[in-house]
This record gives sequence, structure tokens and C-alpha cells, in this order.
Amino acid sequence: MDLNRLVSYSLRIGVFAAALLSMVGLFVWAAGGFNNVVTVMGSEIAGTLASAVRGNASGIIYLAIAILIATPVFRVAVSSLYFAHEGDRKYVLISLAVLSMLIFALVSGYAG
Amino acid sequence: MRVPATVVLGPIDVLIIFLVSIVAGFVGALFGLGGGVLIIPFLTLVEGVPVPLAVGASIVSVVATSSASAATYVQDHLTNLRLGMFLEIGTVAGAITGAFVSVFLPASALFILFGIILLYATMVMIRARGVDFPANVRPDKTSRILALGSQYEDQSLNRVVKYEVTRTPLTVFIGYFAGIVSGLLGVGGGIINVPTMNLVSKVPVKVASATSNFMIGVTAAASASVYLLRGDVHPLLAAPLIIGVAGGALLGTRVLKVTPPTRVKVAFGILLAAISLLMILKGFNLPVVL
Repeated sequence: MDLNRLVSYSLRIGVFAAALLSMVGLFVWAAGGFNNVVTVMGSEIAGTLASAVRGNASGIIYLAIAILIATPVFRVAVSSLYFAHEGDRKYVLISLAVLSMLIFALVSGYAG
Repeated sequence: MRVPATVVLGPIDVLIIFLVSIVAGFVGALFGLGGGVLIIPFLTLVEGVPVPLAVGASIVSVVATSSASAATYVQDHLTNLRLGMFLEIGTVAGAITGAFVSVFLPASALFILFGIILLYATMVMIRARGVDFPANVRPDKTSRILALGSQYEDQSLNRVVKYEVTRTPLTVFIGYFAGIVSGLLGVGGGIINVPTMNLVSKVPVKVASATSNFMIGVTAAASASVYLLRGDVHPLLAAPLIIGVAGGALLGTRVLKVTPPTRVKVAFGILLAAISLLMILKGFNLPVVL
């Protein structure tokens, strides 16, 4: 498989899953009578994500958001594996540089 | 601990947000932007959403616009993957720097500076709209080493366009500052990256737009995670936005493919002029939502 297809599929699967889950979440919200939903922060997010399994509308949408945010990061990781497989050292370095900066930003919270 | 801002949303709000986000996804996909310039004013001014929640929702939708449109552009070989990945080093580093320096640096100066540069870019882009594929572009050393030159099939012209990439270091350098601006201000780097690739590095405008769409996803994803953890991403704002912009982006990618480059340049130029004026106004602390 060439890089273009690999990247394209990674992105497509991520967006499709996120959009589908968002839709399911909104339907569950509608079925529940449009109850007000609040945002959660920090460590509470893990619990809300887990509630998606029980069919909690907010949990399902948070799961969609998490998948969406992971999509571009996943795309960079997939690219670096591809370049490594192709033996293209320059681009392995470039994609790993981007990936490590991204991971630093995700972990440290320094990302605007 | 900071209490997250809240907003109460009903089914009508969600429906309206969904419809507006289709437009935002369309415009974003077409011009290589996230669409935040449309979403933030709409959410704050029309829907009365507090600014942090509007920005949080907007940044999530940028990830969706970028990923949805890039999926198509990458498959059609309109995106220059190598160029995009190389420039990401600059934009991502810039975004991290922006988050670090935001405490010390007044954003207003950067706003005015970039507003003026972009106004200049607008003029150049519209005046030179007819020459999207200048002859005799000589790739610089970096461009040759990294094999950045490429080609794409232009459906509006019915031919394969070969192009070289030049002055790459300058484009990376500007990309770094575009990253700082996006880190500081929450506006995507797309509005800066597209004219830079096109005017500085001589990349055809459609490739510049497609490559920008590809690039903004990673910076936006990093920012989005921060907003998510802060509690600034509201599920009832995010859900309709994700669905809407993904749909709008798919429409936008179809339109870009068949539109002549000249028209893309003029339309982008007009949008660019409007946004750069907003940036300058905001730099002077005038009440502008961006």
C-alpha cells in the first residue's frame, strides 16, 4: 500500500468513527428528552468516557471527540512507520520529530 | 480550580449549529483553513456561547475539517505529503512556543504584524492570479535533498501540473511564526500557510490549500487536547460541529478539484483581505471576534 492511501484511510476511519459516534450520541440525547449536558474536565473525562459503554449520551460524544483528536496524531505515527519500512531515513527523522513534539504538547499541555 | 463555563443548549440550537458548520467545513476545505473564523463569531454572537467554549468547540471542528478534507486530497494526490510533513516541524514547534510565550508576549503586536503581511499577500495573490504555475522555478537545496517537487492532476485544466518547491527554509521559518500565532490566538495557521506556500515557495494554490488542510490537523489536535482537559469542549457543541464540518468538507473538496486556480486565488484573496483587516483591528484591541 502506498503512503497516500495509508494516510487517507487512517484519516477517513478516524473522522467517520467520530461523526458516527457523534450522531449516535445526539440520538441518545434526543431519546432521553434533550436533558442538559455539562462539560467535564481533567480526570473526570476518563469516567465519562467509560460511561459510553452504558449508553450515556455525553460519554458517547466524548468518545467521538477523543477519537477525532487522536486521528491526526495516529496519521503522523503511521507515516513514520511507513518511512521506516521504506528505509527513507530523512523522512523517518522528520515524522518522528513532529510526533515527539506532538506527544510533548499532549503530555505537557503546552499547545496553545 | 477554575470552574468550566457552561451553556444550556436545546435541540433547535444543535440543529442550527449543525447547519452553520456545514458551511464552515465547506469554506475550510476549499481554502485550507480550519473554519474557526466562521464558527467562533457565530457561536459567541448568535448562540451566546461563552468565548472559551466557542474556541474549544471550534478547535475540535478544525481537527474534523482538516482530517475529512485531507483524507480526500491525499488520496487524489493533491496534497504534497512530503512538503506538509516537513513544514509541520515549523508549525508544531511554533504552536508549542506560542503556548510558552503567551504569558510574556503581547499578542497585539503579532496580530498587527501578520495583518499587514497578509494584506500585502492579498494584493500579490490577486494581482498574480493568472500565473499559478510560474516557469523556471528552481528548487533550493533543502527542496532537492527532500525531493519536495511533485505533480498533481488539475481537473479544471485537464492536465497534469508539475511543480518545484523553492525557498523552503523561508517557508519553514514563516510557518514557525504561523504556529506561534495559532498557539497564541487560536486562529489556525492555514490563513498564513496557504499564501506562504503559494507566494514564497511557488506551490500551486490548490496544492497549497490541500497541503495546509493536511497540516492544520496536527496543531489543532494538540490544542484541542488542552481545551478538552480544561473542560472547554462542550459535547452538545462538538457533536453537531463534527458531523456538519465533516459533511461540508467533503463538498468543499469536490468543488476545489474542479475550480480553475485563478478563481481559487481571487476568492482566497478576498477572504484573506477580510481576515487580515480583522487581525489588525484586533491588534489595536478593537472589539473584534476572531
